[in-house]
Amino acid sequence: MKKIYFIAIAALCGLSVRAQTNLIAPTNSAPRVTHIDSDSADFDMNARTAIYRGNVRVSDPDMKLTCVRLVADLPQSGRMNHIVAETNVVIDYTDAKGQTTHATGDKAVYNYAVENGATNETVTLTGNAKVENAQGCLTGEPITWNRAADHLTATNPKMIYRQNLNSTPAETNLPTANTNQMSEPK
Amino acid sequence: MKLLKMVGSARCADRTPQRGIPTFLIVTAVLFLFAMKIFAQQTPTGHATDFTSVEYYTAPNQMRMKSRLSGAEAQPMEGGSLLIKQLKLEMFATNGTPQVIVNAPECVYNSANGTANSSGKLLLQNGDGKIRIEGEGFLWRQTDEFLTISNSVRTTIESDQKMAP
Repeated sequence: MKKIYFIAIAALCGLSVRAQTNLIAPTNSAPRVTHIDSDSADFDMNARTAIYRGNVRVSDPDMKLTCVRLVADLPQSGRMNHIVAETNVVIDYTDAKGQTTHATGDKAVYNYAVENGATNETVTLTGNAKVENAQGCLTGEPITWNRAADHLTATNPKMIYRQNLNSTPAETNLPTANTNQMSEPK
Repeated sequence: MKLLKMVGSARCADRTPQRGIPTFLIVTAVLFLFAMKIFAQQTPTGHATDFTSVEYYTAPNQMRMKSRLSGAEAQPMEGGSLLIKQLKLEMFATNGTPQVIVNAPECVYNSANGTANSSGKLLLQNGDGKIRIEGEGFLWRQTDEFLTISNSVRTTIESDQKMAP
């Protein structure tokens, strides 16, 4: 299996899925509020896990996520650091410039950790994983979006570039894309 | 928790009619214990009002409050259950800081299986109020500390990280 890294994809591929820079440079005193809505839910207070079922919707200031089932670790305080979304996962992300990115998959795993002052924040999509925006469409298995480092990583990726907003998307394969836009894993 | 101990007494009492003790005596005893065990005002109909029940940690933190259950009204029901109105449950850490606060307009606590349930609303929040869980219709299993909310669940999380304008 050939693994291709999409490094700084906003600059290299035009698939601009910028990490939220606001996490690094706070500019507003308002707290970040995340809502999780669902039809029903189970909370295991011993294991500190929450299982949301049916019509699950997650929203925060720059991202919307919907799925059928979502499992999250409940933190003592602050943000959640591990979330698994399953079945018909749809993510819509809006970056600081207002550009939207649409991602879908059968499963998405979100992880957040801060170690030695470095933030590691990733979203890994599997199962018919696809990420698209105004510039193009990327499929792969899996697709990992490193929000903190601002890049995507995909295995067996396939790109469809949109030449412009009025033209039909042009499909291409990764060897071409790899020559000038992607790098092999070291 | 004193209130729960009292409920446990009621459950045991339910078995005694088989030994020939009249039910009304048991009910009277339960109501008496209820009045003695919790700080409450008892109405002529036997309801306890404005009650509070406190549980403390075991040694060496026996002076620290572990939980405080309060309600506007508690009414014993058949089978050892209690109908509690305006429920407020607070749970504290050993250093005294609040960990969990639960509010429900009404719920039924069943001592026989250690559950509390209601078709009404529930609001649960952590100590600093930055995590709030609300919904309608719930079942709480005390034995394994498992909460199920049946309808319209909303979790709100406020994190310290700041938003861009």
